[in-house]
Amino acid sequence: MSAPRPYNLIAELTYRCPLRCAYCSNPVAFRGIPDALDTAAWCRVFREAAALGVVHVGLTGGEPTLRADLAELVRGAAEAGLYTHLVTAGTTLSKEALARLRAAGLRSVQLSVQDAEAEASDAVAGAPAFERKLTFAAWVRAEGLPLTLNAVLHRRNLARVQEIVALARKLDADRLELANAQYYGWALVNRDALLPSRAQLDEAARAVARARREAPRPEILFVLPDYLAGRPKPCMGGWGRRMLVVAPDGRVLPCHAAASIPGLELGNVKLDSLAACWTDAPGMNAFRGEAWMPEPCRSCPERARDFGGCRCQAFQLVGDAAATDPVCELAPHHDLIVKARRDAEACERPFVYRGGSEGEHGGVSTSTDA
Amino acid sequence: MSAIPFESRLRRIGEERYHHRHPFNLRMHAGTLTREEIQTWVRNRYYYQTRIPIKDGLILSKAADPGFRRGWVQRIRDHDGDEKGSGGLELWLALAEAVGLERDEVERLTDVLPGVRETCDDYVRFVESHDLLESVASSLTELFAGDIMKTRIQAFEKHYPWVDTAGLRYFRSRTQQAPRDAAEGLRYVLEHARTPEDQDRCAAALERKCEILWRLLDAIEVAHSCPRLSPHAQLREEAGGLLVVLPERAVKPSASGREILALCDGERSAVAIARELARRHPDMSGLAGDVHEFLANMERLGVLAPRGAPQ
Repeated sequence: MSAPRPYNLIAELTYRCPLRCAYCSNPVAFRGIPDALDTAAWCRVFREAAALGVVHVGLTGGEPTLRADLAELVRGAAEAGLYTHLVTAGTTLSKEALARLRAAGLRSVQLSVQDAEAEASDAVAGAPAFERKLTFAAWVRAEGLPLTLNAVLHRRNLARVQEIVALARKLDADRLELANAQYYGWALVNRDALLPSRAQLDEAARAVARARREAPRPEILFVLPDYLAGRPKPCMGGWGRRMLVVAPDGRVLPCHAAASIPGLELGNVKLDSLAACWTDAPGMNAFRGEAWMPEPCRSCPERARDFGGCRCQAFQLVGDAAATDPVCELAPHHDLIVKARRDAEACERPFVYRGGSEGEHGGVSTSTDA
Repeated sequence: MSAIPFESRLRRIGEERYHHRHPFNLRMHAGTLTREEIQTWVRNRYYYQTRIPIKDGLILSKAADPGFRRGWVQRIRDHDGDEKGSGGLELWLALAEAVGLERDEVERLTDVLPGVRETCDDYVRFVESHDLLESVASSLTELFAGDIMKTRIQAFEKHYPWVDTAGLRYFRSRTQQAPRDAAEGLRYVLEHARTPEDQDRCAAALERKCEILWRLLDAIEVAHSCPRLSPHAQLREEAGGLLVVLPERAVKPSASGREILALCDGERSAVAIARELARRHPDMSGLAGDVHEFLANMERLGVLAPRGAPQ
């Protein structure tokens, strides 16, 4: 069976993390998933990824810097010819350790912040992290590494987009990703506390437009959250099409959240080559291309742009991973989204922090096949 | 609010934002521009000159008062002349010849930089979409034009002796016309901008116009900067062509894009790159504009280092 060429490998080195963000995209039951790949196994994955055509590797997690062998992993990825990109919360690495990563071949860094100032940022992270992040950003720039600042947006910080841009400028970031929260894993648990109103979002979009006019730097990425966009996002650039995720336990996934879909037969690099996991695993082929699509997707002119939207979202909200993504206005189950928007407008709830006891959010699907 | 503080407010906008402070003009007047930079300026500024009578025609179309129109129409006469071969546009073409450009080439507007075209068209659109008061207020950059013309004549005579002084007649004519035009525009604005809101609108229109003139020179400066690949770009030769890998992005230039990137060595200016491409592909017209647009795109995507960034 032939498969498209993947360009981007998302290497989830560990699900461990010192932060406890209420919108974390890791599986809700992340604690049960071990770091099963050692240094040699990951380096083999990098070489096999390069052979498949991958050019970028995002070293992420969890918090990837909790891996004691991170410098060796960076070297292994760089030697395989991959463009190495570290995605970190910036609270764990020392200045010297960062310098070692650069020497090992690290090319760029993405740093997360949760808000524009310490108190609000730390409230989302569930840990005192903000000041350390700022220091870390300065080290990144001092090393001459390109810096992307990533802030997940939700109703509690959307009003501060302008301040977040100012922070990105102060930190001399090259790019700013203003990523509206995606409602999987922990974010779905906290959806009513996170989902913004249309008015908030419009105001934030205006702030972004103003910031872009002020100066070309940083480049600002701002994408409407799909709950409010009316059309699905082209999730991962299409299922099994451009990107692949290798999870800490070695499973090869089409996206971060795909393990939440039950019954998906996925490959594992502990047992098979990355090429086999990418090309042949039934789960990877389950939603490739257009053959799986139901109506209204199958005959929709948008299908080449949005690839039918997000399978995980369809499963989480409708209970059927092959259903039309309910965020689409044309979807039979779009009323679920309309209701979620209404519910979120109506209530003010506290966050459930990631890592709290699993019983705190009974009733939410935590299904994984780990 | 009385008219005097409003007038000083307008004058202050000019002092702070008019392009007499732009680095390119400062260098022009200090005598450090190269012959090629002078040529680029003359060629591109001609596009601005061609937009002025169009802009003035739009202003005329908004005016109901015959007295106003009688005065304002003089501007179009000044630019276009009363017969072929006279007027401000003609004098600008004489300047073009004096700095060593082909008159036809300048008149055809084929090598106008995309950024210059954009900012000049922006000015015409502004006048089109705003009322008479704001349109007239936007013309008040004339208030500051008389002085800059005098500085310019002296600078050319002193620093650029290779330019035949007969070519400077445009500047000389403007030292007379600009103060007259400015006085007319200022009188109108002071008389008609009665409310604080109107005055704010006029101030904003003048600021906008200053910004338009500033951007015109920005575009010329960028065209003379020397693009180079970003130090963060990783070039990969693949079966399907070149792939430029960058933080969180990969760019696949076309064959012609690749040819341009190969010339981005940090030594050649964008203008020189466009000239080289035109030399290699004499059959392709409008190539220069495409080259500048491509370079701007590559800079935006991070393939090229930000121009003006430290080496």
